[in-house]
Amino acid sequence: MATGTDQVVGLGLVAVSLIIFTYYTAWVILLPFIDSQHVIHKYFLPRAYAVAIPLAAGLLLLLFVGVFIIYVLLKNQKVTKKTQ
Amino acid sequence: MASEEASRSPPRSRREPGRRAPRQDKYSVLLPTYNERENLPLIVWLLVKSFSQSGINYEIIIIDDGSPDGTRDVAEQLEKIYGSNKILLRPREKKLGLESTVSVPVRRIEYGASGITGAGIAEQPNGPVRLLRGTAYIHGLKYATGNYIIIMDADLSHHPKFIPEFIRKQKEGNFDIVSGTRYKGNGGVYGWDLKRKIISRGANFITQILLRPGASDLTGSFRLYRKEVLQKLIEKCVSKGYVFQMEMIIRARQLNYTIGEVPISFVDRVYGESKLGGNEIVSFLKGLLTLFATT
Repeated sequence: MATGTDQVVGLGLVAVSLIIFTYYTAWVILLPFIDSQHVIHKYFLPRAYAVAIPLAAGLLLLLFVGVFIIYVLLKNQKVTKKTQ
Repeated sequence: MASEEASRSPPRSRREPGRRAPRQDKYSVLLPTYNERENLPLIVWLLVKSFSQSGINYEIIIIDDGSPDGTRDVAEQLEKIYGSNKILLRPREKKLGLESTVSVPVRRIEYGASGITGAGIAEQPNGPVRLLRGTAYIHGLKYATGNYIIIMDADLSHHPKFIPEFIRKQKEGNFDIVSGTRYKGNGGVYGWDLKRKIISRGANFITQILLRPGASDLTGSFRLYRKEVLQKLIEKCVSKGYVFQMEMIIRARQLNYTIGEVPISFVDRVYGESKLGGNEIVSFLKGLLTLFATT
């Protein structure tokens, strides 16, 4: 079994992903079937964001990965150059 | 098992000379070692214990890569103690003339530790080139007389008590490969910090998505292979590092070999040096993408 903090972190991750999942599902799938005058719409952003936010997040992720790889490669190059 | 054999084997008069009636399975353990002077007696003792307790026919092939700490002497003594039909020492000397001895201060890659495996050459700071695991397997296979091969780490991160489990699983499903998995059942890792676990899970996740291998633990190196299967796979594999073990499983899938899994506990002995650096991550990603593109 995983130890103390690891379990907490794990549970936290699961909880966060569940929340995001239910929110997003409700947003995209349930809301279109609910009357546009209903009060629940107050809790959700305009639907355009349902596409924009994941897209932006995906791009950010790619950016981060790219930067990480470039950083590591550069560090490698610098190290080999220094020893030559 | 014995009754199956008896009903399948041809009548005595027709059998080829030199073949005895119940053909016994023999398990060869390939143990690549590098600076395992202290762990080697322990691991050999544990192996002998598990095998003898289960009445399994075995041999242990120790492939030492010219360890400077005297691992080879320890292996020779073990050979005397347990008999040279059970312990086979097949060392490899580093041919310093052939491989480069430029001391590039690449971060030291701990040879036997936490799943760093591969076919190829690794470089050490201020030291000669060290040979890696894929070539150790090729070397060891030449001397193996068993019909099943078990590969594992010699640094006590894999416990031999799982080997009878592997064997049982293999017989159960007549699998070509049985892989020890850290990610299924009650398999797991002891001794990793959170960051390491996350990286490991993340890597496994990406791999599952990209390659759909049908096995839950791809980078593990505690496995049982049929001898011919291992030979065939090693020929086909081209990568090194973590990706080598992954490639073995992917190629096995390609060739339609059956793979069984047994949960194992991996005990990481962090000597303070076998940490996972950006370098390993990038080369892993590179290898992964290569596999994705070529299979």
